[in-house]
Amino acid sequence: MFDAIRGHLAASAPHDAVRAAHHAAAAHGEDVSARDEKSAAVVFEGTAVERFRQALEAVAGRCFVVKDEAEAAEVLRQIAGQRKSQRVAVSDSPLAGRVLKLAGLPAEVLENAAVGELFDSDLGVTGAQWGVGETGTLVLESDAERHRLASLIPSAHVALLEARNVRHTLGEVLRAINERGEGGLSRAITFITGPSRTSDIELTLAIGVHGPAELYVVVIGGEGNG
Amino acid sequence: MRVSLFITCLIDQLWPSVGSSAVEVLRRAGCEVVFDERQTCCGQPAFNTGYRAEARRLARRFIEIFEEGGADYVVSPSGSCTAMAHHFHELFADDEAWRRRAEALAARTYEFGGFLVNVLKVEDVGASFKGRVTWHDACHGLRDLGLREEPRRLIRGVRGAEFVELANADSCCGFGGTFSVKYPEISVAILDNKIDAIEKAGVRAVVSGDASCLMQIGGRLTRNNSSVKTMHLAELLASRE
Amino acid sequence: MHQQTSETFDRNAREALADVQLRGALRNLATTFGGRRKEAIATVEDWEGLRDRARAAKDETLAHLDKYLEQFVGNAEKAGAQIHWARDGAEACRIVLDLIRARGASRLVKSKSMATEEIHLNAALEAEGLAPVETDLGEWIIQLAHETPSHIVVPAIHKSKRQIAELFAEKVGIEPTDDVAVLTGAARRILRRSFAEAEVGISGVNFGVAETGTILILENEGNARLTTSLPRTHIAVMGIEKVIPKFTDLDVFLKLLPRSGTGQRLTAYQSLITGTKRRPEDEGPEELHLVLMDNGRSRMLSHPVTRQSLACIRCGACLNACPVYQQVGGHAYGSVYPGPIGAVITPQLSGLKQSAQLPYASSLCGACREVCPVKIDIPELLLHLRAEVTEGTAAGTAAQHGPVKSRPLERLAFGLYARAWSSPTLYLWGARVARLLQGAVVRKGRIGKVGGLLAKLAPPLAAWTEWRDAPPLAPRTFREQWREEQKR
Repeated sequence: MFDAIRGHLAASAPHDAVRAAHHAAAAHGEDVSARDEKSAAVVFEGTAVERFRQALEAVAGRCFVVKDEAEAAEVLRQIAGQRKSQRVAVSDSPLAGRVLKLAGLPAEVLENAAVGELFDSDLGVTGAQWGVGETGTLVLESDAERHRLASLIPSAHVALLEARNVRHTLGEVLRAINERGEGGLSRAITFITGPSRTSDIELTLAIGVHGPAELYVVVIGGEGNG
Repeated sequence: MRVSLFITCLIDQLWPSVGSSAVEVLRRAGCEVVFDERQTCCGQPAFNTGYRAEARRLARRFIEIFEEGGADYVVSPSGSCTAMAHHFHELFADDEAWRRRAEALAARTYEFGGFLVNVLKVEDVGASFKGRVTWHDACHGLRDLGLREEPRRLIRGVRGAEFVELANADSCCGFGGTFSVKYPEISVAILDNKIDAIEKAGVRAVVSGDASCLMQIGGRLTRNNSSVKTMHLAELLASRE
Repeated sequence: MHQQTSETFDRNAREALADVQLRGALRNLATTFGGRRKEAIATVEDWEGLRDRARAAKDETLAHLDKYLEQFVGNAEKAGAQIHWARDGAEACRIVLDLIRARGASRLVKSKSMATEEIHLNAALEAEGLAPVETDLGEWIIQLAHETPSHIVVPAIHKSKRQIAELFAEKVGIEPTDDVAVLTGAARRILRRSFAEAEVGISGVNFGVAETGTILILENEGNARLTTSLPRTHIAVMGIEKVIPKFTDLDVFLKLLPRSGTGQRLTAYQSLITGTKRRPEDEGPEELHLVLMDNGRSRMLSHPVTRQSLACIRCGACLNACPVYQQVGGHAYGSVYPGPIGAVITPQLSGLKQSAQLPYASSLCGACREVCPVKIDIPELLLHLRAEVTEGTAAGTAAQHGPVKSRPLERLAFGLYARAWSSPTLYLWGARVARLLQGAVVRKGRIGKVGGLLAKLAPPLAAWTEWRDAPPLAPRTFREQWREEQKR
């Protein structure tokens, strides 16, 4: 296959040269692509956490900004209470473990849940390694915790995120991950932006297809809002 | 300033008044206008249907004729024929000398409305017209030549004319050259969206910069016995009502 | 309904135009996705700059595709992925089938993938007695209905919720409903069983990062996450053009793709997968197989005009913006890739002879080029392919082979035109004769519907006047008027 690729690329070389010569000659503004689609200069005046909260809520996620883990536990208790959660699946994130312990939920808590048990859980609790302000995105890395199934299979997902890990842009997060160099890249990195959704039937938005229908993000160590 | 007119075959044969209007407006704007009677067609129908040998033959002729005129600019009251002149170089990928000639000619070939606004820096040509008008963006003028604001500015400069924006001004009218007769049902289905918007705009005239779009839109309007008339931008700008 | 192939585009299109429900759905698509896209691109700072950067990254990759593929494959293998090369669709299907067979697996789930649609993988597996389950809602709907996708992003856009409700009632036994949430809930419930017991998950790939060997899959529903997390074996089928150079290039593509496709800032999920799990207690599949497929792609590298086809990131924006697609929908193209991008890649993938109509299925309006996030000049490609159809050559290159479709009458007409229009005398006399003859058909200053013998003699005139009046030739041409003016 490499021979085919190299052969075809070689065949293209003379055509590429003609094209380059034309582009060099045609400095008379003959740009065929109309450059008239306007996009605004995007300046966000607030903090990355505030930006994260707004973007997440715009895609039907819920965001709570709290002072500390005790407050986070209180939020978790409220969510579980409202949802009358019976079985809670938790990832192996130390933060999630601590907050869950503080919350003392009147529910069965499953650590290392088997797949079958996950399908019977009604709440999944995980951490998240990064937050992205511009899109309201959670970034979960498999080297940091086993996140994939607890954040995906139960019908609601609570993610605990430290405020200091929230960045304004996805580019900042990608660069930070990339700069760790070899070995710094988890086998599975998952970006999550709001609850699971589809528009496959008449483009009507439906929330909660295969993943969670509800996504709650608790940002810990922010300004706190009660 | 000496301007050599390229009057497309459609205009020559079907709407000569568009040509004479263009002459009048350009003269009013201070240009010396010349017209080389040897000119015929830019070859666009052949090029767009895939007949490059035929298109090349007409392109060579076009280049020779307009090189000889010695005018400062070549101006055409058609976005698509102007765009064709800008595509000539693609026909001469294997022939550097001709490619250079094609590029040099394209560099001084302009569409009528764009020429007025961008080269002559004129937006008010002293025209007047009574009633509401709207504008249909011909695709090649808009997307190949990037002319969006130029015609609108010129129309706003016409005394007495009330300009209303068409809901789908920048969508295709469905003409597409041989497409209009190869797939007439699709062509007309696309056209009918345009016609609906024109009727809703409640205008006296729909104006455009390409005779081919006007033939497509006008042909449907008269078939529907509509009271809306079609006008080329040059005709509107030559109007003294 | 007849078998819809690319060869019958004209018939397919006429049927589609008569389908009132379909045209309503297509209007909804154009307005909804068109509007959302506009809003979404207003949320980035420099849309044009992003498009340029994305295209530059694609151009760089494609110009050195051998090098970037080698790098990608090396890094993916280092991370534990197993690489398989497929020259064509049949080979790719065979590789997938052999992998499934070798594992004695029969329970298969699939997430949405255009590459697997392209090679008709499901049909190949079903022919061997396997039953892969599509898990994307839209794909599942069309699988249940035994149909093909009509859009790259929303495959079941041609179906109404009523039709879907009836389908679900018939196939999975739920009460008919017009509540989309209930229909979606039914899909969730039923497909969970498939996920829970799946042995092999099959996915596509949106991007492969050369620098790290990572594959990235975008989605909204969560089914791709499940497909790539739960089964023991994950098979990903990817076209060789999916490679991009750097990990941080993802930033640009993740800004462009969701905004262009569905008008989202980001789709709900992105899975970035680099190899296989590193500790036995980790989550995820034990094996990752990457099937790298050519299937006509490397051929497109041989000319800069065709090469840009490989920059496509399958966002579907050109479909939503295309006036032709908006009227006839996806099935008319008779290909898994419909719309403007389909009209240029289908002939290149499956042969111009079978799809010679597709490059002509466009008014060349350029709306596709305007919305394309990677600035593919689709009209230029359409013209290139039209020249291949009529001459077997393109872009002024020397003849390599004969015409793909000989259209003797059309060729004759364009030959005569080029000759007559090259001679002012012939041009003039031709016009004079036509002016004399037109008296037979001009009524009230216009040419109405032409029938009878004339319609047979001049099919284009008949096609035009069936629905539109034609203008008569003017009594005096512009050049005649000019000459008189010069004499005065």
